[in-house]
Amino acid sequence: MSKVIKSTFISEAVEGFTPRTAMEEASRCLLCHDAPCSKGCPAGTDPGKFIRSIRFRNVKGAAETIRENNILGGSCARVCPYDRLCEEACSRCGIDRPIEIGKLQRFAIEQEEALNMTVLKAPEVKKEAKVACVGSGPASLACAAKLAMEGYEVTIYEAEEKAGGVLTYGIAPARLPQHVVDHDIETVKNLGVKFVFNTRVGKDITLEKLQEDYAAIFVGAGLWLEKLPEIPGVELPGVMAAADFLKKARKSEGTYNPGRRVIVIGGGNVAMDSAVSAKLLGAEKVDIYYRRTIEEAPADMAEFQYVLSLGISITTNFAPAEVLGTDKVEAMKFKGRDGESEAKVAVDTVIFAIGQGAEDMGSIAPFALNEKGLIVVDYSCKTSVDGIFAGGDVTLGGKTVVEAVASGKIAAVGMMNYLAQKEVN
Amino acid sequence: MGIKKDLSIDFLGVRCENPFFLSSSPVGSNYEMVAKAFESGWGGVYYKTIGIFVADECSPRFDHVKKEGMPWLGFKNMEQISDKPTEVNFDNMYKLKKAYPEKIMVASIMGSNEQEWRQLAKMCDEVGVDLIEGNFSCPQMTSHAMGSDVGTNPDLVRAYSKAVAETTKIPFIAKMTPNITDMCIPAIAAMEGGAKGISAINTVKSITNIDLENMTAMPVVNGKSSISGYSGAAVKPIALRFIAQMLQHEKLRNVPMSGIGGIETWRDSLEFLLLGCRNLQVTTSVMQYGYRIVEDMSNGLMHWMDERGYDKLDDFVGKALDNIIPAEDLNRDFKILPDFDNEKCVGCGRCYVSCFDAGHQAIDWNADKRRPELNEKCVGCHLCLNVCPVADCIMPGEVKWKDGRQQTDIILKKNYE
Ligand SMILES: Cc1cc2nc3c(=O)[nH]c(=O)nc-3n(C[C@H](O)[C@H](O)[C@H](O)COP(=O)(O)OP(=O)(O)OC[C@H]3O[C@@H](n4cnc5c(N)ncnc54)[C@H](O)[C@@H]3O)c2cc1C
Ligand SMILES: Cc1cc2nc3c(=O)[nH]c(=O)nc-3n(C[C@H](O)[C@H](O)[C@H](O)COP(=O)(O)O)c2cc1C
Ligand code: SF4
Ligand code: SF4
Ligand code: SF4
Repeated sequence: MSKVIKSTFISEAVEGFTPRTAMEEASRCLLCHDAPCSKGCPAGTDPGKFIRSIRFRNVKGAAETIRENNILGGSCARVCPYDRLCEEACSRCGIDRPIEIGKLQRFAIEQEEALNMTVLKAPEVKKEAKVACVGSGPASLACAAKLAMEGYEVTIYEAEEKAGGVLTYGIAPARLPQHVVDHDIETVKNLGVKFVFNTRVGKDITLEKLQEDYAAIFVGAGLWLEKLPEIPGVELPGVMAAADFLKKARKSEGTYNPGRRVIVIGGGNVAMDSAVSAKLLGAEKVDIYYRRTIEEAPADMAEFQYVLSLGISITTNFAPAEVLGTDKVEAMKFKGRDGESEAKVAVDTVIFAIGQGAEDMGSIAPFALNEKGLIVVDYSCKTSVDGIFAGGDVTLGGKTVVEAVASGKIAAVGMMNYLAQKEVN
Repeated sequence: MGIKKDLSIDFLGVRCENPFFLSSSPVGSNYEMVAKAFESGWGGVYYKTIGIFVADECSPRFDHVKKEGMPWLGFKNMEQISDKPTEVNFDNMYKLKKAYPEKIMVASIMGSNEQEWRQLAKMCDEVGVDLIEGNFSCPQMTSHAMGSDVGTNPDLVRAYSKAVAETTKIPFIAKMTPNITDMCIPAIAAMEGGAKGISAINTVKSITNIDLENMTAMPVVNGKSSISGYSGAAVKPIALRFIAQMLQHEKLRNVPMSGIGGIETWRDSLEFLLLGCRNLQVTTSVMQYGYRIVEDMSNGLMHWMDERGYDKLDDFVGKALDNIIPAEDLNRDFKILPDFDNEKCVGCGRCYVSCFDAGHQAIDWNADKRRPELNEKCVGCHLCLNVCPVADCIMPGEVKWKDGRQQTDIILKKNYE
C-alpha cells in the first residue's frame, strides 16, 4: 500500500532547513567559479553568491544578495520550477544531485524574517517624476521595487482587495503560504511603494486619468480571462474555470467546500494546483483528466509527484466531450484520443484548467496586441503607447513568477531611461 | 548597495582600509595575483617571503586532512620561500604599491645571516613598502640557518630584528613559529631587538597522513616525504592560544598583533580581533576557495557590527582577552545539568553511547520510548550536548551547587550553533 500524505489547505507541504541542515547543504555546494546556477536564474537572484555567503556563515549577506536581486525571493523560493532553472544548471548534477537551491533561498529569507532584517532601503531624496503600476502581481511588484530603490515614488493600482496577483489568489497555499507572500510584499511596502486596492484600471479609473498624474506607467495585469471549452453543458452549475475556483478557495482561507467528487481537466501547473487545492479543501475523490500524455504535459514533474503523493489520480489521453446533468453537473463525458475509447464519470464539481487568456487590454489603452490578445512590447518592455510599459504574463503569456519578476526589472530600467530622456528633451 | 560600515583600522601607524590581508605564501606571489586580490577587496598583502636564497621546490607539495567527508580541515605544504628571483619580487612590490597606493604592501623577508637581513631590509627601504615582516618561522627550510630553527632561538631573533631595525625606519613585524612551548620568549626577544609588532602563527610541523601505497608520509615525492607545515581550520585553536598568551604577557600587552591561522569566515576574523589582533592574515582558505572569500568576511563583519551597534573596529578589538583566565581561577563550585528536549530528540542514542563509554554512565536509555533519561551520576560535563546531532535538543539546564559551596550569580551561555 502506498503512503498517501494527509494534509490541509493551509498547512505547508515541505519543511524548511534549520541553520545546521542549511550549512550541511551549503557545504555540498562546489562554489563554482562562474556559477551556472546563477546563469540559470531568469531574475538574476545569484544563487552562486548567496550560497557562498551561507557557506561562509554570512546568512545576513545571503538575504541581502537575494533581496537586492529579487524582491520576491521568498515566494520564488517556494514556487520556482528549479528543476528546469537553477538546479538543472547546477554543476553538482555531474557528481550526484543538485544543491537544493530553492530550499537554501527559503532558509535565507526565513532568517531575514526571524532576525528582523531590513535589507533594502529607498533613498531619502525622491525623484520628481511619479510612476504607477497597474496590477500588484509579481511583475508589478518587481518593477515598483526597483523604481522605488532608485528614488521614484510608485503607486500600484490593484483590482482586488489584496496584493500579490496569482501569488495571493492562485497558487495553493500548501506550496506558497500567504505569510510568505505577505512578507515579500512587506519589503515592497517598506520601500515606500503605495497601494490602491479595489480599483480596476479601465473601469474604476481610466488610464488617461493616471497619465495626468504619472510620468510613466507599467501594466502587469496578468491573465485573468477564464477559459471554458465549447462543449455542451458547460453552463451548468458546478462547472468552473480554475482561476475562479482558486480565487474562491484562497479568499475563503480554507473553508470553501469543493464538493465530494471533483474532476480537474488540464495538464499544466494550474490544473495540478486546482486538484491539490480541491483535495486539501476536503474533497473525497479528485481526478485529473488530460487530453495528451504525461510527457506532453506542461506541468513540472515535481507537481505531478506532489499530486500523486496526495492520492489524486491522473488519467491521460481523454478529452472532455460533454457535461451531463439537469439542474447541476452530474457526470462528465470524455472521448479517448484513440477515437474509440469513451468514459462517463459521476462528479459534483468540474474545474477546467485549460489555459488562461488576457482580458481585453485594448479597453485600457489602444495597445498593439498580438493574435492571443497579449500586449506587444519591445526589448525594454515598452508598449506601442507612449510612456506605457508592460510585462509579466500579459506580455509573455502564462509563464512563471520568476520570469514575471525578470520582466518587471527590465521594464523598470526601460522606464528610468525613458524618464531620463524625457527630462533631457 | 548592501550594508556599509567602516572597517578601517590603524596598524603600526599605517591606516588600513580593512584588517583583511593575505599572508605571505603563494596566494600573494606575483603582480597579477596581488592585483586581483586587491580588486577583490583585500586591504593588503604580505608578499611571498623573499630571501637572498631562492627556493628549489619539490613536487607534489601539498596534502590535506579530512574527516567524515569534510575535506581541508587541515592543510600540509612543503613549500619554502619564493622561487622567483629577488629583484623580480621587489620590482613587483614597487609596481603594486604604485598602482594601488591605498592598499598596504608588506614585504616578508628571510635572511640566513645578519648581513643578508640588512641587505633585504635595505631593498625594502628603497622600494618603499609600508611594513616589513621577518619570517622566523617556516618549518621546512632546507637550511638550518633559516626558518623556524631561527624562530626558536631568541638570540638569533633578537639579532636579526636589530639588524632590520637599524637599517630602516619601516616598522618591522616578527612572524612567530608555533613549533615552540612558549612563544612569548622569541616575541620578547624580537621586541628587544627593535621589532614593532608580532604576527602569529606560521605553520605547525606535521605528518598529515601515511601513504599505504608507498609506506611514507603524504605528499609522496619519489617514494619519500618530509615533516612539514600544517595550516588551515585545524590550526585556528593553536593560533588563538598563542596570541592570547602573548597579549596577556606583561611585556607584550600592547604589542600590535597580526593574527594568522585558519581564518576563513567573518566569524573566524572576529575571534582574532576579539583577542586583540589589529590585523588578520589568510592563506589556506584562499588556496581552497580563492580571493572572493573576503566579500563575506567583510560583509558578515559589517552585519555583526550593525547588529551590535558598533561603528568601528576599535570599539571591540580585544574585548574577549580579559575573560580568558588561568584554569585555577575558574569557578568550580557548581555543575550545570543537561536538559533534554524530548520533542526535538530524534532518538539516535548517541548521547547515551558517549556518556556511557566516555563519560559517567549518567544517561539511562529508555528503549521503549527511544529517549535518554538523565540519572543522578551526571557531572555536568556536557559531552552529550557536544555529540547530539539535533540543534538545541540538549541544552544547559538546572544549575546545581556543590555541597557547602558559596552560591553566587553565574553567567550562562544560551545560544549554541
Ligand atoms: C494556479 C497557478 C499556479 C501557478 N503556479 C506557478 C508556480 O508554481 N511557479 C511559477 O513560477 N509560476 C506559477 N504560475 C504562474 C505565475 O503565477 C505567473 O506567471 C505570474 O503570477 C505572473 O505575474 P504577473 O505579475 O504578470 O500577473 P498576475 O500574478 O496575474 O498579477 C496580475 C494582477 O493584476 C491585477 N489586475 C489585472 N487587471 C487589472 C486592472 N485592469 N486594474 C488593476 N489591477 C488589475 C490582478 O488582479 C492581479 O492582481 C502559476 C499560475 C497559476 C494561475
Ligand atoms: C603553501 C604555503 C606556503 C607558505 N609560504 C609561506 C612563506 O613563504 N612565508 C611565510 O611567512 N609563511 C608562509 N606560509 C604560512 C602562512 O603564511 C600562514 O602563516 C599559515 O599558513 C597559517 O595561516 P592559514 O591557516 O590561513 O593558512 C605558507 C603557507 C602555505 C600553506
Ligand atoms: S552550480 Fe551548483 S555547485 Fe555550482 S555554485 Fe551553483 S549551486 Fe553550487
Ligand atoms: S594547480 Fe595549476 S600549477 Fe598546480 S598542478 Fe594543477 S594545473 Fe599545475
Ligand atoms: S543525542 Fe540528541 S537526538 Fe540523539 S538520543 Fe540523545 S538527545 Fe536524542
